[in-house]
Amino acid sequence: MSSSMSSCSYKLWDKHRGTIQSKKGGWVVGKGIFNHGYSMMDDLVGKVSYMQVVTLNATGRLPERAVADWFDAIHICLSWPDPRIWCNQIGALGGATRASVVASTTAGVLAADAKPYGIKPLIQGVQFIQAALLDYKQGLGVDEIIHNECAKHRGKPHIMGYARPLAKGDERVVAMERVQQTLGLPIGEHLQLAGKIEQSLLNSFDEGMNINGYMSAFLSDLDYTDDEVYRIFAVLVTSGVTACYVDTRDRTPDTFLPLRCTDIEYTGKLARPVP
Amino acid sequence: MSTTRGKVESRNDIFVESTATKIWQEIESQHNPYLADSCLCHGYDLLELTQKRSFIEVLYLLFRGELPDVDEARLLEQLMISQINPGPRHPATRAAMNAGVGGTDREHILPIALSIYGGSHLGAGEVEPAMNFLRKQRKHDPVQLAHELIANSMQPAEGDWHIAPGFGSRFGGVDPLPSQIANHLSGLPGKHETLLWGCAFADTLNEQSLGWLAPAIAAAVFTDLGFSPRAGAGLFQLLGAPGLLAHGVELANKSVTAMPFVKDENYVIKYE
Repeated sequence: MSSSMSSCSYKLWDKHRGTIQSKKGGWVVGKGIFNHGYSMMDDLVGKVSYMQVVTLNATGRLPERAVADWFDAIHICLSWPDPRIWCNQIGALGGATRASVVASTTAGVLAADAKPYGIKPLIQGVQFIQAALLDYKQGLGVDEIIHNECAKHRGKPHIMGYARPLAKGDERVVAMERVQQTLGLPIGEHLQLAGKIEQSLLNSFDEGMNINGYMSAFLSDLDYTDDEVYRIFAVLVTSGVTACYVDTRDRTPDTFLPLRCTDIEYTGKLARPVP
Repeated sequence: MSTTRGKVESRNDIFVESTATKIWQEIESQHNPYLADSCLCHGYDLLELTQKRSFIEVLYLLFRGELPDVDEARLLEQLMISQINPGPRHPATRAAMNAGVGGTDREHILPIALSIYGGSHLGAGEVEPAMNFLRKQRKHDPVQLAHELIANSMQPAEGDWHIAPGFGSRFGGVDPLPSQIANHLSGLPGKHETLLWGCAFADTLNEQSLGWLAPAIAAAVFTDLGFSPRAGAGLFQLLGAPGLLAHGVELANKSVTAMPFVKDENYVIKYE
């Protein structure tokens, strides 16, 4: 076994030792608080919306107000106060045990860092529609794009952004299309393709586009990458989790879905002596 | 009939009526069905376990469904001691310290640190990929594989090189302590095929200033003990939890000045 100990091998870490190099901004005492080149108190506060600053912090780019308003609206669509939803139930359980609202809400947000629902499907949704548009521009037909994607799932219409879990149809897409129109935001080429894919899926499988599909295509039209989408919407579910926390926090402890011992089905080994 | 976007119909998925577990059985009290008179872990009475078995053995039982033999228990215990503290320079420990010195509510210190300890660089997020790597590759010659990976992988232009999950450089060189730990654990009585394979793999990597990293040691032991890769990340977090908490608590009654605050002249804002 050998260990490289030449000083050049750890020069990188010596360069950073004791200093912070920020590409984002910071507080310069006496001069102001800076964010991506903006003076926060002079350029941002009272002049731009909170979602504009959230996006600036997540991507380094300040979006126009209408786009940030669309982001604001989609947060409303994607988090609602129903404790049957997995992340929300964690908030409710936090309230039932008198955990703090911060711990419970962040625990619920953390739970939505999941592949089947929550934030991560957006990554896949953006990746799919961006790859699909490239294929489409290179001459692949909509039906071929769908066929290739379904082939990955034994022919089933498992395309991220289409065929909503638990229910068919998605009222949130209708609401967000209305918001988009009101804000004067155009339908770009990703969204146009998403509509064609939806029409084909409706004809073949009776399955439509869900909110993920719409959102992924809309954000792709704004040139956001999958990583940027993941970062902008990191705490997407926060408000619904908090609502569910508050509901149980204001009730008697342990009254949220209480379980008798026999309500858990034991399927393991029979009782045995400890050797 | 085709579905329109605005029309929502339930798929009527069938959910189970109750949650099932093979791990834990609670025997209800005759007087109150919400209270348990006794608990059984994989069939063993909890009180009997407390009297006859060690914490390590019951931990193993929880995940594997059976009690370990002497060699397995010793291996797990010595792994747990070796990983009990990621050390005060690990980002997860520093997160615990920041929480402690910042006056964060005490009950949040450990969850905060464990979240950071979940990272895929030297954290729990590296353990499951390492277990999958070891399970897949251990049937191949470790020396040949190491040479192939070195030949076919691109060293990053900057920073450490993780040539395989849990194996790589640390601050530009071979981290000596993980290698010592792995060599020690692999010499314990019992079957340690994965650990031994990892030692041979790491020895070959040493030629390129690469070697064992802590997550792979845990991954190798978990694999040899038969734990599921799905449990790897959480078990690794469990192993490091005592050290993380201890460092956070150590600073929890101190003033914020008990940790450095980077001076203005050392805080450089440089926009791209």
